Amino acid sequence: MLLAIDTSAGTSVAVLNTNVLAMATFDDPFGHAENVGIAIAEAMTKAGVTASEITAVAIGRGPAPYTGLRVGMAAGLAFAQARGIPTYGVMVLDAVAHSMSTPKLLLHADAKRKEVFVAGYESGVRTFGPAVMQPEELESFAGYEKVQAVCDASMVGLFTLDQLAKGADLNDLSALYLRSPDVSPSPGKRVSG
Amino acid sequence: MDFRGLTVDDLSSVMELESSVFVSDAWSSESMRSEIESPNNFYLGLFEDGLIGYAGLSTIPGSFSSDIQTIAVSSAARGRGIGRALMQELLRKAKAQGSEQVLLEVRIDNEVAISLYASLGFERIDVRKRYYQPDNVDAVIMRLRITQPLVLGIESTCDETGVGIVRGNRLLANALHSSMDEHSKYGGVVPEVAARAHLEAIAPTLNKALAEAGVQMKDIDAIAVANGPGLAGALMVGIGAAKGLALANDKPIYAVNHLIGHVGADVLERGYVQLPTIALLVSGGHTSLLLVRDLLGDAVLLGETIDDAAGEAFDKVARVLGLPYPGGPQIDKLAATGDPKAIRFPRGLSLPKDMEKHRYDFSFSGLKTAVARYVEKAEADGETINPADVAASFREAVVDVLLTKALNACAEFGVDRLLLGGGVVANARLREVAQQRCEAAGIELRIPRFSLCTDNGAMIASLGAQLVMSGHAPSSLGFGAESTLEVTVVQSP
Repeated sequence: MLLAIDTSAGTSVAVLNTNVLAMATFDDPFGHAENVGIAIAEAMTKAGVTASEITAVAIGRGPAPYTGLRVGMAAGLAFAQARGIPTYGVMVLDAVAHSMSTPKLLLHADAKRKEVFVAGYESGVRTFGPAVMQPEELESFAGYEKVQAVCDASMVGLFTLDQLAKGADLNDLSALYLRSPDVSPSPGKRVSG
Repeated sequence: MDFRGLTVDDLSSVMELESSVFVSDAWSSESMRSEIESPNNFYLGLFEDGLIGYAGLSTIPGSFSSDIQTIAVSSAARGRGIGRALMQELLRKAKAQGSEQVLLEVRIDNEVAISLYASLGFERIDVRKRYYQPDNVDAVIMRLRITQPLVLGIESTCDETGVGIVRGNRLLANALHSSMDEHSKYGGVVPEVAARAHLEAIAPTLNKALAEAGVQMKDIDAIAVANGPGLAGALMVGIGAAKGLALANDKPIYAVNHLIGHVGADVLERGYVQLPTIALLVSGGHTSLLLVRDLLGDAVLLGETIDDAAGEAFDKVARVLGLPYPGGPQIDKLAATGDPKAIRFPRGLSLPKDMEKHRYDFSFSGLKTAVARYVEKAEADGETINPADVAASFREAVVDVLLTKALNACAEFGVDRLLLGGGVVANARLREVAQQRCEAAGIELRIPRFSLCTDNGAMIASLGAQLVMSGHAPSSLGFGAESTLEVTVVQSP
């Protein structure tokens, strides 16, 4: 039984065996810290499972706005650690692409600060990204169907099951920020003169 | 029927009942007075048209053990479960105080009482021969063991990822990961850098704490997490992790106040925190002066910084002097050879006019600017400064204003205790002057060990444990990060 957690957009949690048994979603683009616990509890209740029946956790690693992303990742990592079960990390645009069947697909998602997170796929295989760029730069991808990606936990869960079945490595659990913290060393400023 | 704590004002009605119940071996009025007055004791009365029963509990602070001193029920009120009700209230109190056992002695011929105690879980552990005089009757010593809750606490309000584990008021683990080094090139804590570091550190720090305490996650009875005040993005990592842990093992979760956690840290040092106390919490993020009468229900913010935190001022002045981050230890080292009276830097918000509006508030921004001006002017005039004197004089100004206001608060509120907390407590001069001034003023100074003064998970676990022991309901699953959480909110609902 897989518990999938994604806070790349709103807050969503799904419980899956081979299919999605239940999902709890809060669309609020903020409120991840408030909602993540309720969503986990609700998804398990709807699926009729207890925490002890969960055998693995999948988390969305982004790219996504950082503050919310970390909440779901922290919750998933802690849940898995507390139960002594494996955690799998999923690049969320891959999960969205997996849910679609577009031959040439360019997924983009809001990266804040007037930028977008982008990944390109051909026949389901990622050929570009994930990267962060200006929205105008999307124009240069001719022939791709451009879709705004909104990930949720069912996509993360289904992609995880698919990848595990194929023997893929989902062990990277680091957050995909794609940008350095927005800060630079300051020399300090004079107060007089 | 009405329970209420007894005071010496109740002495005459207590003595009336005492001499009617314990005819031959009643306590004297003087003994009873000192019993009721002792700060270590809790005497509870039950009233119904006057006093119909009372009982007393004694807990020597730091002993983790309580004693039932006495229990009496008027003969007219017996057979109604009053003795049991009084005992249950005392046991509740003992548990809330962190006691791990409760002891009592009872006349061996008092079978009714012995069976009451046995039904409450007390076990017979010893007999004292001819304990009750003049009747020459043996005493049975009985003991109730209390298993206090095992609580895991998470701290992520600023740049320290802390996971602590306590059992009741005992410290079992205090694991910490600091991202301080990552902030050094920026000269101060960068919220996004701190939040990223928390996410990376949380799992390893959890493991470290569990290993240190020698317990497993499934053994944990409750999870506590600091949900404010602090940096929102940093807090949310801790909150996410805490909720994940709680749900994984279906455990209650307590969202607690970081600043009250600092005050409660002394519990882990000696098993209890003596109250009321004035608490001065000084770090890179806070400079707060609190009056705490009850850790879980009565804390008042007397004042706080209106601009920079004291620790921040140390960092900024260090930079002016060309010293690396964090500035506190650097300035402390440099100041050791300097003259604290060489330069008279301003004491913020200490003028008579400030005493009305900002009596207990602090301001360090002007002080930092004054130091910078001093250094820049010397440079412009082509003079060389003595950095040790600047450091010592700056440090003296900070320490002076912190302690002047803290001791004023002690005097004004009639509280003869001062507790220090926060990372700036590492400052040697602050500790030294605090000791001198407190000694001169007859004030008891408490400074927990440094690892409990800086931000840490153990103090969060401890505050959570106190809420559990006192029977507070857990927080709901829907709480969030509260960057500006007020000290009056010990636990978020």
